[in-house]
Amino acid sequence: MPQDPRLGRLEGVVRVQTASVAAVALVVSALLAYGAVTTDGFLTLANFKAILTATSFVGIIAVGMTVIMLSGNLFSLSLGTTAAVTAMFFLYALQFGLGLAIVLTLGLGALIVGLQGIVVGAWGANPIIVTIGAGGLQEGVALWVSGGHSLLPPTGETSYLHLARPVLGIPFGIYVFFVLAVITEAVLRETRFGRETFLMGENRGAARAAALPITLITVGVFAIAGFCTATAGVLIGAATANGSLLLSGTYTYDAIAAALVGGNAVTGGRGSVVRTVIGAISIATVSDMLLLRGYSTGIQILVKGLIVVIVVVLMNLGRIWNR
Amino acid sequence: MVEQQDGPADSGSRRLLKVEDLSKSYGPIQALRGVSLDIRDGEVHGICGHNGAGKSTFVKILVGLVRPDAGALVMDGHELHLQNPQQAQAHGIAIVDQELSLVPALSVEDNVFLGSLHVPLLHRRRRLQRKARQLLDGLDLQHVPLSVPVDQLAIGERQLVEMARLLGRDARLLILDEPTATLSKGEIERVFRAVREVVSQGRSVIYVSHRLDEIFSLCDRVTVFRDGQAVGTHGVHELDRRSLIALILGEIEGEHVGEEPAEEHEVRPETAVEIHNLNVPGRVRHFSLEVKRGEIVGLAGQIGSGASEVLRALGGLIPEARGNVIVAGRRIRISSPRHALDGGVMYVSNDRQAEGLFSHQAVERNLTAVRLREISRAGMIVRGRARRIAARLAGLVGVAEGRLGSPVATLSGGNQQKVMLGRGLEHGGTVLLALDEPTRGVDIGGRADIHLLVQHAAAQGNAVIFASTEFEEVFELSDVIVTMFEGRIVSVVPCKEANVAAVLADMTTSRSPVGPDGSAQGAPS
Repeated sequence: MPQDPRLGRLEGVVRVQTASVAAVALVVSALLAYGAVTTDGFLTLANFKAILTATSFVGIIAVGMTVIMLSGNLFSLSLGTTAAVTAMFFLYALQFGLGLAIVLTLGLGALIVGLQGIVVGAWGANPIIVTIGAGGLQEGVALWVSGGHSLLPPTGETSYLHLARPVLGIPFGIYVFFVLAVITEAVLRETRFGRETFLMGENRGAARAAALPITLITVGVFAIAGFCTATAGVLIGAATANGSLLLSGTYTYDAIAAALVGGNAVTGGRGSVVRTVIGAISIATVSDMLLLRGYSTGIQILVKGLIVVIVVVLMNLGRIWNR
Repeated sequence: MVEQQDGPADSGSRRLLKVEDLSKSYGPIQALRGVSLDIRDGEVHGICGHNGAGKSTFVKILVGLVRPDAGALVMDGHELHLQNPQQAQAHGIAIVDQELSLVPALSVEDNVFLGSLHVPLLHRRRRLQRKARQLLDGLDLQHVPLSVPVDQLAIGERQLVEMARLLGRDARLLILDEPTATLSKGEIERVFRAVREVVSQGRSVIYVSHRLDEIFSLCDRVTVFRDGQAVGTHGVHELDRRSLIALILGEIEGEHVGEEPAEEHEVRPETAVEIHNLNVPGRVRHFSLEVKRGEIVGLAGQIGSGASEVLRALGGLIPEARGNVIVAGRRIRISSPRHALDGGVMYVSNDRQAEGLFSHQAVERNLTAVRLREISRAGMIVRGRARRIAARLAGLVGVAEGRLGSPVATLSGGNQQKVMLGRGLEHGGTVLLALDEPTRGVDIGGRADIHLLVQHAAAQGNAVIFASTEFEEVFELSDVIVTMFEGRIVSVVPCKEANVAAVLADMTTSRSPVGPDGSAQGAPS
């Protein structure tokens, strides 16, 4: 085969993008190393546990967010709301027993977000708009049904506390996070559905022409995101034992940030759950460091925003450098 | 090639641009190695060469999109250091790209002045309108009103509007990069007239094309690129088709050019596909056709003839299409790509970017995209099987097996096209291959390869319907030629009995429509 110079150009792009990924990794690790050495109390076991605890809820939601992102549907802007709603439902459903409550909650999460997937997949609606709207709907229904009151677990019910208790000294949520991440990654890498998700994320028009089941894939992707989010909802509900919409917090944005900082392509088709895990842990580590150094919450949020911006810029510099 | 180095037409003409020893490499691969040439005032300078010979890189350097590693561009005795396209524009270098850069929703007038450096802050409409009119009239666009949005124009007209825009910026060197790839014969003529008009004003044109006929009929001189080098600049009168092809391909490969190799394929008696009364609202009317196993039918028509829509409809990509499609004796549904594929229709789009390839995904994934069922068991991908099937298809279409893991975007255009076609080959259950412009953007060598593949598929008993706006291709590849005009079949002729002039006439003018069996088709509307 004759050498093709354009091939060189494209390989150049790929190489520079790999280089920029490496640059991001290098900058982040250097920062972390510097912080680790200079921050009092950072290099302690207790602190690592704190970082992991902070990561787990966001991380679990971010796993779901990643699947949506890889499928080319940008992201959901209401997974945080869904987390709160499912946490509330979990506390309510505890009256049916812990096991059933978990199953029902996970089902509800998959259903709520899966329905959004139908709208996006079958009618080609914009996922951002659909998920914003769906977030409003969920908040409205949750407020209406709960009458504006916080939901508490049934009196005398303590079974859920198992979920909030550390196992072997590590928060239970961390195990869930890693197991979920590994399973999701395996689904994406090894199954036909995962392959279809990547192809659709890369080029929806080509996926359609290649007779891939666009609607089905989209529904599946959103349902997985709902399942992950409801998993976080169960853990959040168990940890707080006080269910209200306030629980949604900044989970939506933090999950998007984790997926982006990990270096997943926001346009879909390229990336992995592993990247998101790294992204989530990096953000949590930096936040933790700032906290230990006594910076205010404002500064912490600001730095989080800066990290996202810097990573996105670095990832895109490749194209410009290559000229 | 007996004529002297400088043809008589060249004497006395001034040099507009001198390119000296231009080099550019991307990583280990040298895209350009010491390219030198000069562009004279008022000439059409052709650039041709294989896909990946360095043409694109050269053009990108000229317009400031890519910076060379070494070498110089000299204009008016000054060396240019182009950092970006704006600076190139300021020096009067402008490009009409393969991908048009007009804004579809804006009017013709707005597009003509879009991005211009000469629109005053408070712009005087009347004066601008007069200027726009002049520019358009100069390009044979008298019939196009200034206020009409660009998306209502034909592709060829859009290209001319883009040229008008560049001329409005006082471009001295206009670069046309494969301008005719998507144009019909009539539209090409207009682009040619416009180019001749431009050079008659003393401006220069660089014309990049792999269509040799165009080089011969339009250019004054031509520079051939091969492996990143400019292997020579010649007046076109010094060359003939054969010698030009030899220059493009190099000495060794030049031996067997000319006649395309062909694989014999026998048209079998049994009918593979019957299409009855296929209609696509506003696009195709009363299309009926019968194709036998082993038969290759070429749909010849200009852009907008409906040929492309017939294939899209068969592929299930136009849900509002109506009609009876019978494949291997079974009526199939064409309401979705899945139904069409299950019914035995393999559609290959003419649009690699939008509907063809998954650019950043590996070649292997691209090749196996329509047979995920085949490569998975109980929902899990069986890697070994995927690899084996991909390797077989890659071997079939002549893509190196070592590239299976690379993103398909890193292949050359011709190889990308082969991957796209390869995906559709040897698929169990396929009866009909519906190929839209199977060799779009592919150079001569790649084109012959792809034709062989199509013939091979026919020899295996597939029916093939393909559309092409290049009538040369229609003649080379078809057993039966179907000409279309404004959504209807105009004529159905066995290739052996077809004559070029008649087919060309049928493609461009309406005649009483005739069905495949000779009966009149479609009630008068």
